[in-house]
Amino acid sequence: MTQDNRSGRPQGRPPEGDGRVSRGEASLRGPFLLFFVSAVVWLLAASVLGVIAALDLGSMVGVLRDCAWFTQGRIATAQQDLFIYGWGFNAFFALNLWLLAQLGRFEFRNGWLAQLGGVAWNLALTYGIARVFAGDMTGYRLLDFPREVGPVLAVAFLLAGFWPIVAFARRPTGHTFASQWFVVGASFAFPLIYLLAQLLVLWQPASGVVQALAHSWFIANLLQLWFGASALAAIYYFLPKVLERTLTGYYLAPVAFWTFFLFAGWTGPAALVGSPVPLWLQSTGVVAAAMMLIPVIIVAINVHGTLSSQGGWARAWNDTTLRFVSFGAVAFTLAGVLGGVFAFRSMSAVVRFTSFATGLEQLLVYGCASMVVFGASYFILPRLTGALWPSAKLVHVHFWATALGFLAAVVAWLVGGWQNGQLLANPAVAYADILRAGASWCLVLKISAVLLLVGHVAFALNAFGMILKAPAPASRHD
Amino acid sequence: MKNLNTLLAGVFFAVALPFGALILSGQSQLGGLGRAAGEEGGALFPSREPGLAIQGRAVYVSLGCVSCHTQQVRPAGQGSDIARGLGARPSVARDYALQSQVLLGERRLGPDLANYGARTSQINVETLLTDPASSGAVWHPSYRFVDAAQRTALVAYLKSLRQDYPSPEAKLKK
Repeated sequence: MTQDNRSGRPQGRPPEGDGRVSRGEASLRGPFLLFFVSAVVWLLAASVLGVIAALDLGSMVGVLRDCAWFTQGRIATAQQDLFIYGWGFNAFFALNLWLLAQLGRFEFRNGWLAQLGGVAWNLALTYGIARVFAGDMTGYRLLDFPREVGPVLAVAFLLAGFWPIVAFARRPTGHTFASQWFVVGASFAFPLIYLLAQLLVLWQPASGVVQALAHSWFIANLLQLWFGASALAAIYYFLPKVLERTLTGYYLAPVAFWTFFLFAGWTGPAALVGSPVPLWLQSTGVVAAAMMLIPVIIVAINVHGTLSSQGGWARAWNDTTLRFVSFGAVAFTLAGVLGGVFAFRSMSAVVRFTSFATGLEQLLVYGCASMVVFGASYFILPRLTGALWPSAKLVHVHFWATALGFLAAVVAWLVGGWQNGQLLANPAVAYADILRAGASWCLVLKISAVLLLVGHVAFALNAFGMILKAPAPASRHD
Repeated sequence: MKNLNTLLAGVFFAVALPFGALILSGQSQLGGLGRAAGEEGGALFPSREPGLAIQGRAVYVSLGCVSCHTQQVRPAGQGSDIARGLGARPSVARDYALQSQVLLGERRLGPDLANYGARTSQINVETLLTDPASSGAVWHPSYRFVDAAQRTALVAYLKSLRQDYPSPEAKLKK
């Protein structure tokens, strides 16, 4: 956002705009809003389940404790699936489509196909979540849905996530940008990864522990190549766009892209250090996790180098979009560095099986990807709807509640996980005592879940209020 | 990078290479594992799962137990699993060779269950499921809503979890 902001606070209002949208943007409006509204609805549902799961955890009594649907194993699974497949995927369907159309300057024709994919995705997700609550799940995290859901999600993805790539292939412009590479890479990689994982874990299960190997490969790819790559695409777009300057060391971006995609796929077995899989596989995963520091450092040069020059951080702090996006960029760097360091055997031995892995995962999925999506929404929605954000106060509530809630949670997961690991490493400490020692972190997670819910409700109220107030589409020919 | 085909081909190989090298070669290395005797002339292990235990595993999965429990004992040097008494030896790939669904787990909010059958009694498991507070468990949910048939199957499954036999790949701790 380029408007002058002397208050030093995030702006609740969009920048310039004549209330009309361009033809290119008008062609995106339907699919974008379908994905965006679905994403926010799923985010609210996941947040409510997150609060219930957090309150449930660590307490021996409770209203819902004796209800099969709300037992911890099911509610935590449903919450995670809603967040990843409901919020994360819908949000990036919308954001990736918009980025490709903006940078490729194409009109999104046959957008109904993407909308059909979006509807199919959400229906399959609803069915999958209902089955999880009923106890029909597979036992493999993030592949929890009964196997018949997988092919539907894959086809829906091809329509919703891959159709924009077909439109991109016919773009009128020849030049491409880093954001486009990351979007194309993410949208092409995910269906391959998902179908292969479905095949080897659920449809034609591999022998014994190879199932666990295939599962860890899937999780690493899902997190890095879908969430990580999609978030990087947005970071590489919004940072120079809003700051109105070229990224520092942008010539290194192709190296970041290729090393990111080259190494991410090998990192899965790093999550299996100490597990009953061959040592060479574990070591390959550890080396790949360390090699991921190369793209992480290059991204840091591009992003933090830009923010650190010409008062970039100050401008980022004073701009709603950039404040969220910069938060996401810092979280990406932190996730990459910690992921590389804690993959090593000596470190992994301490934090394995603790909440530390959750903390690392959430740094990428929430701290980076979700915060970037929030920031992007503040930029895109006013342009797409021609309306203003209804409330600046809700923008403040959204930022502070999500930022503080997330920071509290990530500290609880990482520091609590490290402490938990230290106690687990000492065989003299009884297991019950280790769990009791984590009670204070459990309380932090409860408070954090409530804060995140508050932030998400504020965001939803503002976004839905804006969409409902938006004038009827009227395009301008530019 | 103007050429979309180059980009797509690069991404395809970035996904296919690790898949082939990690998963397919892993399958080729471990796919032939079966029952074996830990010592010459000894009994073959792992044992085949009883039918009731297979039903119990379905209950275990449907309750989401895997989100809080692991089923793997790490070697000495990777945590204190053996010193803590979770097993007499580290878990090896052969232990899972006959399992149609391998539930190694990622998180230990509760204790590891790889050897649960070897270190607990029938009564303890029943109490843990129906009245966890009185069994001394911390944070364990109550499963009073699980019907008797399912509970019996779940108990059979948990009792079947044991890696207390010698394996060619790992000797038992004396």
